[in-house]
Amino acid sequence: MSKQNVLLQVARRGGSFLSLVRKLWQHPKGRVGLILVSLLVLTAILAPVLAPYDPYDVTQRAEKGLRPSLAHPLGTTITTGQDIFSMLIYGTRVSLMIGIITGIILAFLGALMGVMAGYIGGFVDNLIMRTVDVLLVIPTLPLIIVLTGLLGRSYFVIVLVFVLFGWTGLARVIRSLVLVLKNSNYVKAAELAGASRWYIMTKHILPGTSHLIIMNTTLTCAGIMVAEAGLSFLGLGDPTAISWGKMLAEAQGGGALLFGAWWWILAPGAGIFLAVFSFMRIGIVMEEIFNPRMKASSSIYKLFKHLNNDYLDEVFDSMDDEGTTVPPEPSRPAVLESDHD
Amino acid sequence: MKRSYVIKRILYAVFIFFIVLTLNFFIPRIGVSDPAERYYPPQGAMSEIEYDIIKQFTRAQYGFDVSTFQQYIRYLKDLAHFDLGTSLQAGSPKVTALIGERLPWTLVLSVTTLIISLSIGLLFGTLAAWKRGRWQDTALLNASTISVALPAFFIALMLSFYLGFELELFPAYTNPNMVGQFDWSWKAIQVVFNNAALPIMSMALGGIVGYSQTTRNSVIAVTNEDFVITARAKGLSHTTVLYKHVLRNALLPLSTSIGMSISGLIGGAIIIEQVFNWQGMGTLFLQANSTKDYPLMMGIMLFLSAFAILANLVTELFYVILDPRVSVGDKR
Repeated sequence: MSKQNVLLQVARRGGSFLSLVRKLWQHPKGRVGLILVSLLVLTAILAPVLAPYDPYDVTQRAEKGLRPSLAHPLGTTITTGQDIFSMLIYGTRVSLMIGIITGIILAFLGALMGVMAGYIGGFVDNLIMRTVDVLLVIPTLPLIIVLTGLLGRSYFVIVLVFVLFGWTGLARVIRSLVLVLKNSNYVKAAELAGASRWYIMTKHILPGTSHLIIMNTTLTCAGIMVAEAGLSFLGLGDPTAISWGKMLAEAQGGGALLFGAWWWILAPGAGIFLAVFSFMRIGIVMEEIFNPRMKASSSIYKLFKHLNNDYLDEVFDSMDDEGTTVPPEPSRPAVLESDHD
Repeated sequence: MKRSYVIKRILYAVFIFFIVLTLNFFIPRIGVSDPAERYYPPQGAMSEIEYDIIKQFTRAQYGFDVSTFQQYIRYLKDLAHFDLGTSLQAGSPKVTALIGERLPWTLVLSVTTLIISLSIGLLFGTLAAWKRGRWQDTALLNASTISVALPAFFIALMLSFYLGFELELFPAYTNPNMVGQFDWSWKAIQVVFNNAALPIMSMALGGIVGYSQTTRNSVIAVTNEDFVITARAKGLSHTTVLYKHVLRNALLPLSTSIGMSISGLIGGAIIIEQVFNWQGMGTLFLQANSTKDYPLMMGIMLFLSAFAILANLVTELFYVILDPRVSVGDKR
């Protein structure tokens, strides 16, 4: 029942999601982001059709170390003669898959934790927030390295680890917002009418936070893609797949720096840049749409701090100042209290 | 009131540390019934009986001969003596000794990076805030977008390519003898900073942009406050208002973030150290990972966590002292 209700809620917001896409399209910067993201998604889906060569073919001795030319638009690797353009196209799959899948799971988990902590309060809130505190002080990258060593090197493990440790940011943002929403009149009315906690959480609280969740998810996707590239660069990704981070590691290991094969380094870097940049664009534009008075630049700072998670107080400071997401009648201060049952 | 707050924060930090070290104890034990098998996998032609004997020795050597609970108690006891256990490296060095050896080299990178990015970031951030909406501000915004989308290790590779190999301005790869030959002479210090130039640059680039952005937002937030408007209305000059009224208050939240950024920088330097083969904690951690040296890995993790907890605590207490407007008790 619980899951159904959440899903129902998402489904019901389908209409507003379409209108969100329309708003993004009308915004010049948002349109650039949308076009770029759709191009990336198409590239990932159509990779076998688009790639001119087999990127896994490591037996082209005659073709190795070629500079960019018409036959090989981005050149070939200097060790095994793989076509870099084809590798780049296949690498889109890993980045987008990890970024989007992790982003979506994190959105659900973070929202659930945040709403529970904020609305139920008391013991649940304490438990969740203490967990957040613990996760914040453990160094993320070393922990991920240890866990991939223990659980195996596969993308499933990477997504799992990102999910286990990445939900804290969104949970804190959502919690602070829920603390405000909780005291609004319509929630009080629902409580007086005898609605169950779960009903209020899914029907009244969650919709109020949905814009924050969507915006955060796009920025999370961007952050996760950078993190994934870093892990693959360290050789902790799936050893059989082609990813941009792994391409860079191979370039460094294969002597691209020493032999001046700039095309081997620039191409994967450009791929990472393009993917992260386009997701960020959409996230920033969404923020402008939802909260027009908030300066666009602040979200960049947030993303910058994303994996450290300490940007959130700042978000909330600015949101409270603007007052756009706060319901009009915050009659009493938002404090922790469990005045239900 | 204030003293009780301080005691509460300290107790809470101890509590968090306790949870972290418990996790630290149990994480390497995920999914294994017998750690001896992980530390000493069967090798070559080895009969069951022989392997059993070897496993027993291994268990005794690494302290797996008692129950998990007793191991945990022993782990706590050792920690009370600041003993993080013994590494599996040849010669069985103590984990604390290894960390102590590598920590200064990582600190060279992270502290220098912090100083550079903080000082330049302050300058740029204040400028962007002062010239809000003009080209300086837009330039900062664009720089932020670009620097966030470019991972630091990619910047490191590019710097290594152009400044290291192409122009040969700085060593593209750290001299591995640098650590052993260091003797505090002026020349040795020069060698260290020459080698550290590229790693520091690749980390500082993101840091500069980050601090600029923080400073800018902080300065703008303060500029909108009443006392600044009052100062302006009194007819004070722009520079007086900027230095005496705005900056002093805007730097407050920034100064408290320094502790946390150092712990973040040490942990985050792993990839950069790997690119330049810099012999710091990051490369130590990666070496430990490739040899499945769990005592060493968990020791480094615990050290970094403890550092972060301490930095957090100092920040919280420092903030209350520095900013009298923060009311004690309603935090979190």
